Amino acid sequence: MMDHAFATILKTGPGTSIQDLGRIGQSKYGIPVSGVMDERSFNWINHILKNKENEAVLEIAQPGFQIQFEGSTSVSIAGANAKISLNGLEIDNAALIKISPKDTLEIGAFISGARVYLGIRFGFQTQEILNSRSFYEGLTTQNQLSKGSKIPYFSDSEWSHRSFAKAKWTTDWYLSQELSTYPGPDFYLLSEETKTNLLSGTFKISPLSNRMGIQLEEKLENELPELPTNPVYPGTVQLTSGGKIILLAKDAQVTGGYPRILQLTPDSQSILAQKRPGDALHFKLLLP
Amino acid sequence: MQLGWCDFLQRELGDQILDLRQGFTSVSILWKDVVAHSQFQNKLNTIAIRPLELSNKIWKVPVCYGEGFGKDLETLAKEKKLKVGELIEMHASVAYRIHFFGFLPGFMYLNGLPERLHSPRKAVPERAVPRGSVAIGGSQTGIYPRESPGGWHIIGRTPISLFDGEHNPPVWANSGDRIKFVPISSSEMERLIENPPLPNYK
Repeated sequence: MMDHAFATILKTGPGTSIQDLGRIGQSKYGIPVSGVMDERSFNWINHILKNKENEAVLEIAQPGFQIQFEGSTSVSIAGANAKISLNGLEIDNAALIKISPKDTLEIGAFISGARVYLGIRFGFQTQEILNSRSFYEGLTTQNQLSKGSKIPYFSDSEWSHRSFAKAKWTTDWYLSQELSTYPGPDFYLLSEETKTNLLSGTFKISPLSNRMGIQLEEKLENELPELPTNPVYPGTVQLTSGGKIILLAKDAQVTGGYPRILQLTPDSQSILAQKRPGDALHFKLLLP
Repeated sequence: MQLGWCDFLQRELGDQILDLRQGFTSVSILWKDVVAHSQFQNKLNTIAIRPLELSNKIWKVPVCYGEGFGKDLETLAKEKKLKVGELIEMHASVAYRIHFFGFLPGFMYLNGLPERLHSPRKAVPERAVPRGSVAIGGSQTGIYPRESPGGWHIIGRTPISLFDGEHNPPVWANSGDRIKFVPISSSEMERLIENPPLPNYK
């Protein structure tokens, strides 16, 4: 039996949102892609739940999250490694959790990583704007979820998930400090010395980071000119004239005027999404 | 020239392209797969693009200059050694060409600001520029489609909505069309803001 049901948020920190793979093909109106910061965790969740590949999930960026489900379903948790409890009892494998009516799920302290993803059988059913449910200010009526928010979903009491009982989410992959990148369109403007500093240096994530972009603490001296505004993407690495390095993320503008020195691979963007302020990283250049 | 490329790519290879992005000096393509990408790379040198014949459409966008809607109008006029009326007349005399949309959903990069009005961006950006603000930054002029931080000089405001996510397409103009600002009085502004019209074109 499939029925309409609601999940109610009982507790949440800032920055909780609904995300799918975002809005592709809308950049001609100036609309960012948006979507999950960590696609790797997202894909795994929808695979485990036997969902279609683009069903919407919850992206949770702060510990202290609690949600109650009205009807039976199955959920899956991936992304950051966090303490998970169901009705107050800690569970050690959150890859696939059977939910009964009135069950309360809690996401506590993050042990490693920066973003937890909570997916549900058939996906969360919030409003779709321009082919995506991804929250974005000015497009969707909400841009973050708060205490009391009700999220629609389809309850499903009959689905059996025995076959996946032993699947377990691993988190080793995002502990890597290496981000693979391609040269960006403006890479050739860098001096040899700046290129060396960029590719041999270790950088730390700055607290000035959000879904639009992730900044690095260390500066990279350069003599690049200001450039005409041109296309940028999630994963584009920009270098400002002041030496700031900005790694653009999913809610980034579609165009920008800072030199585009690198372009992260999709896998590296997922790794980056799980980094916290203070974490170290370095770049590895792949030649196209 | 970019419009010519976009038109060609959309027409000839549209079924292999996920997303096409335009800037001042480049066009970026997001291919559906690697094969389409390498096929295109191989024949890139053989493609000759002629600039697209530009649209004749001119959209009329009502703007209330100053009057509590353009907080930087008087300062900017003084800096430029112009009377406020002269600045308005100069800004409203041009039919600005839409290069492309970027920065925010519905934000149009416009070409054609008279050189006399070019003005460096503010050293410290404003935390919140109101939605609909018409502003000048560097060699450009534009309209903020929604409230946003911004470093441009605010000279007026339009009651018209630039972006509606519930419509497809969510904007009324196209890249290549032109925009002409039409000065309106504050009483006209109060009236239009209650019931924002869509702009007319000729």
